[in-house]
Amino acid sequence: MRGLHALAWRGLRARTLRSVLTMSGVALGVAVLFAGIATDAGIEASVDRTVEGLVGRADLRVAAFGEAGLSPATVEAISATPGVAVAAPAFERRTYLGLDRFGPGDALPAPVTVVGIDPSAELRLHDLTLASGAHLTRLDEPSALVGATLARSDDLVLGSELTIQGPAAPTTVRVVGILAEDDPYAGPTGRAVVMPLTTAQAAFDASGFTRVDVGIAPGTAPSVVVEALEGSLLEEPYVLSSPRELGLAMRASTGDFAATTALIAAVALFAGAFLIFNTLSMTVVERVRELGLLRAAGATRSQVASFILVQAVVIGAVGSTIGIVSGIALATGMAAWIGTVGDVALPGPVVTPEGVLAAFAMGMAVTLAAALEPARQAGRIPPVEALKSRMDLPAARRARLRWLVAVFLLVGVFGLLIWPRAAGDAGLIRALAVYAALLVVALCVPFLLPFLTRVAGLPFIPVARLEERLARASVLRDRGRAAMTVSALTVGLAMIVALGGVGQHARAAAGAWIADVVPGDVLLTSIFPRTVDEGLDDILSELPGVASISPIASFDLAIDGVRVDGAAMVGSDLASDGRFHLVSGERSAALAAIDAGGSVIVPATVAERDGLAVGDELDGTTTNGSVVVLRIVGIAERTLPGDGGEAFVVGWPDAAQLGVAGADAYAVRFAPDADAAARETLADEARSLALDPVPLGRIQGVIGAALDRVFGLFDALALVAIVVAALGIVNTLTMNVFERVREIGVLRAAGMTRRQVWRSVVVEAGVTGGIGAICGIAAGLLIGALMVVLAGGRPDVAIGVPWLSVAVALVFGIGLAMLAAAYPARLAARVSIVRAVGYE
Amino acid sequence: MTALLDAPTSAAEPTAAPILQARDLTKSYPLGETTVHALRGVSLSVAAGEFVALMGPSGSGKSTLLHLLGGLDLPTSGEVELAGEVISRLSDDRATRLRRDRTGFVFQSFNLIPLLDVTENIALPFTIAGQDPSRGELAARLGDMIELVDLLGKEHHRPDQLSHGEQQRVAVARALVTGPALLFADEPTGNLDYTTGNEILDALWRSCHERGQTIVLVTHDAKAAAYADRVLVVGDGRIRDTIELGRRADHDATVLIGRLAQLGL
Ligand SMILES: Nc1ncnc2c1ncn2[C@@H]1O[C@H](COP(=O)(O)OP(=O)(O)OP(=O)(O)O)[C@@H](O)[C@H]1O
Ligand SMILES: [Mg+2]
Repeated sequence: MRGLHALAWRGLRARTLRSVLTMSGVALGVAVLFAGIATDAGIEASVDRTVEGLVGRADLRVAAFGEAGLSPATVEAISATPGVAVAAPAFERRTYLGLDRFGPGDALPAPVTVVGIDPSAELRLHDLTLASGAHLTRLDEPSALVGATLARSDDLVLGSELTIQGPAAPTTVRVVGILAEDDPYAGPTGRAVVMPLTTAQAAFDASGFTRVDVGIAPGTAPSVVVEALEGSLLEEPYVLSSPRELGLAMRASTGDFAATTALIAAVALFAGAFLIFNTLSMTVVERVRELGLLRAAGATRSQVASFILVQAVVIGAVGSTIGIVSGIALATGMAAWIGTVGDVALPGPVVTPEGVLAAFAMGMAVTLAAALEPARQAGRIPPVEALKSRMDLPAARRARLRWLVAVFLLVGVFGLLIWPRAAGDAGLIRALAVYAALLVVALCVPFLLPFLTRVAGLPFIPVARLEERLARASVLRDRGRAAMTVSALTVGLAMIVALGGVGQHARAAAGAWIADVVPGDVLLTSIFPRTVDEGLDDILSELPGVASISPIASFDLAIDGVRVDGAAMVGSDLASDGRFHLVSGERSAALAAIDAGGSVIVPATVAERDGLAVGDELDGTTTNGSVVVLRIVGIAERTLPGDGGEAFVVGWPDAAQLGVAGADAYAVRFAPDADAAARETLADEARSLALDPVPLGRIQGVIGAALDRVFGLFDALALVAIVVAALGIVNTLTMNVFERVREIGVLRAAGMTRRQVWRSVVVEAGVTGGIGAICGIAAGLLIGALMVVLAGGRPDVAIGVPWLSVAVALVFGIGLAMLAAAYPARLAARVSIVRAVGYE
Repeated sequence: MTALLDAPTSAAEPTAAPILQARDLTKSYPLGETTVHALRGVSLSVAAGEFVALMGPSGSGKSTLLHLLGGLDLPTSGEVELAGEVISRLSDDRATRLRRDRTGFVFQSFNLIPLLDVTENIALPFTIAGQDPSRGELAARLGDMIELVDLLGKEHHRPDQLSHGEQQRVAVARALVTGPALLFADEPTGNLDYTTGNEILDALWRSCHERGQTIVLVTHDAKAAAYADRVLVVGDGRIRDTIELGRRADHDATVLIGRLAQLGL
């Protein structure tokens, strides 16, 4: 056995290029896999950290509904609940700093989050580490702590004065401390001002509380406290959450990302499996005589098989190790490129021993699975093979479909074992469906090969007729090998096209969505609610070129005790704008009904999920705890996007009852003849009213840019799978050249120039790439559509052909394949005629 | 292109003009510390229309010489002049083109491209030259060749569907299809039984005698060499002897065998 192992080593070294290519294939596959695992762990860690930052040592959080917030009585009740050791109330608003310093023409500064806290209670639950200065002490002092980011960006030092813009007169406070970090209050902008509770409430002329964090007395079970709280808090709506629930919600937002990354990793590994299989099969074919000799000399079948398996183990171990190391680099790059996933900032990958182990095991498992069939073939070589003068193609080397299915299943099962927690069941089903579709495509390739070869060869006929003929025949000579090579390329290209399709659809859907539900061309947003008393509608609609102004508010709505997103809109504006679509209910009547009150329009997604229909009645909880009955008058194809889905749309009369203080956005529709000057005037006027003008195109652009980044990453990952496939092409072509040295010699003797020989190998690669591209594009379009449909994509937005991705797939498929031919083609062109014709 | 279509001179007897000349050829292969001298100084001349056989013991350098004469390899020193061109002075592409247009090769075995059928294999030199062999004069020439080597009815068989003898005949047809100035054959009958071997030799002889084809044949077999007008005996990298047989229709080998016996072969 020792001797045989040494032989296996020599086998690897004898074909250095092939061994290196195969190891690189395994390494790339494992790298994508491990990058996915490490990124996922990074997301998990980030979620944990964010949750911990948000709630600190609090065991529960009671959050308010609506602007008015929790009343002091509720806070009292929480403190008095048995088992509650600490109750830390806080008040939160978003506003601008020193708005007075900005003139009409200036862009608004980035908003800040103002958080009012009770210093004594807050510090028992949250660590507020100061970089400099002192903590807040009293509830009503005119001082503030600022976060590290804000201090840096706005040049704030101890003693700086801050002007806090409230609804009425601004409040001035002095910076007494600078936090070492931004957490836990900063929010998405990273700009936080922490003030004493009473001072903050006074600045916004408010008396409610945004949330109360609860610390439970030692020895008391959280469930007991939850029950007690539910018994004592009957006055007004609230949301009770635990750190665990917050974590779950955040994880849900990262699920799709994790799922897609996992899927691409599976595809890359799968492409790697083809490569390994091809390589080891070639080794078997090349060494048929040598192995036959070993058998004749008394080696057992399993000894001969182990010759191949030992090579596989070395390839797998080295490839997986390199893959894990490069995976860390890849994941770091991914984190830098993506920045945030869902609601979670992604600072970097996290390497865990389990992750390393899983990636290594996966790399080894795929390698060994791919090696089993070639090893079995090696074991089956009869001793007489050694005596044959001519090497015929043994039928056994034809890659079996059975083998393909087995490797596919293995990768699938392993994928299930390490499936990212965040991705959830829906993502899992989607990924499995896509994965199964890829398998079907890979299985179809061998059967379509003759036809596809002809088609893929067509473009080469005018420039290289003979070469095309030779290349075509060569591809078809060993269909099993060709099918393997093509399938690897196909699955990679299919992912690119599919992701292109999904991305394009997502962008189109996002664009159509915003345009349909906002009755205007420009949205003027405000970070605090604007009441009717301000008369903004009138001021704005009198501006030249403005056709209509429609106020919109987004708020939390408690329906049957469950928090949903709510939106207040003017029904008549939506009616006259003409783009808000109902899938159920009579449009004009429904829109009139919400203006009249007691009515709600629910989004189709929610209606479907909860089985709601027109005519159903929902109980909406008002700020004072009483109930408004809302009758469903329509089901909308889509409504305004909210935090957790699409919003329930009510009219303004109901909104007022439900605790909406005022509009936080105005949709402005310009008259058709409005010129650029009119738009400019509106923008200036809006800024002077502390409204931020946002053209709809920009909202769509922002959404599009975010999508571009995510899909760009996916494309890059899918490209890795294609590179793996290209390595497979190098391998296959090199093997073909070695096998055909004799033929090349004959051709050269008959007068074929080196250049012609070179070209025939490159054309062969081009044909292979072309077949991969055809299959990959076809499969990708189907899979893209499948992904959109399974993700509950909007049927009204047509699933278009992502031409850019198709072009990329075509260019990359054929181009990379031909590039991969460079080495084997040179090898072929250099074949020495004399040596070739003397070849036995 | 016209070279491909040049009909061989129709003379049945060899003319005096040399079409192939070798001057002081040597070929050595470095082999580790030592050097193998496969050829140690060979000069020869082949006249147009002549049938020359190279004989000699295994390892004497016959194949090496043939490869140099046909421009498949370059000599260590010395020159080969083929159809007026000195091969070692040509670029690889020019040499390849000369080979394509002016020579034909038949090797001992594996002469065919397994992917191509009989007609395609024979037409290979035309296809390589970028010509369409399916029509016109080329098609007629192909038909002619298939007839010459007696493969009518098997035009579309693939090599693995042919016997060894048939495969070699296809190889001969391909070597002759361009009407080359020179046909080189390296033990074309080496793998064949007696009768099959004779079919090949008959085909070669007919092409020489009826069409004036110049042929250089390497063989071990005195019976095969007896088809030639002249036999060059190669030994230890040199030409040991020249045996003039003259053009004879009976291919009687007794004279040759006698002369070889005198030489101790
Ligand atoms: N590539 C090479 N490297 C080293 N030595 C070589 C090489 N090719 C040929 N030789 C040597 O050159 C000598 C002549 O070889 P060649 O093939 O020409 O002999 P041959 O007369 O054709 O023999 P045979 O009748 O067996 O075919 C031999 O000794 C052979 O070992
Ligand atoms: Mg020889």
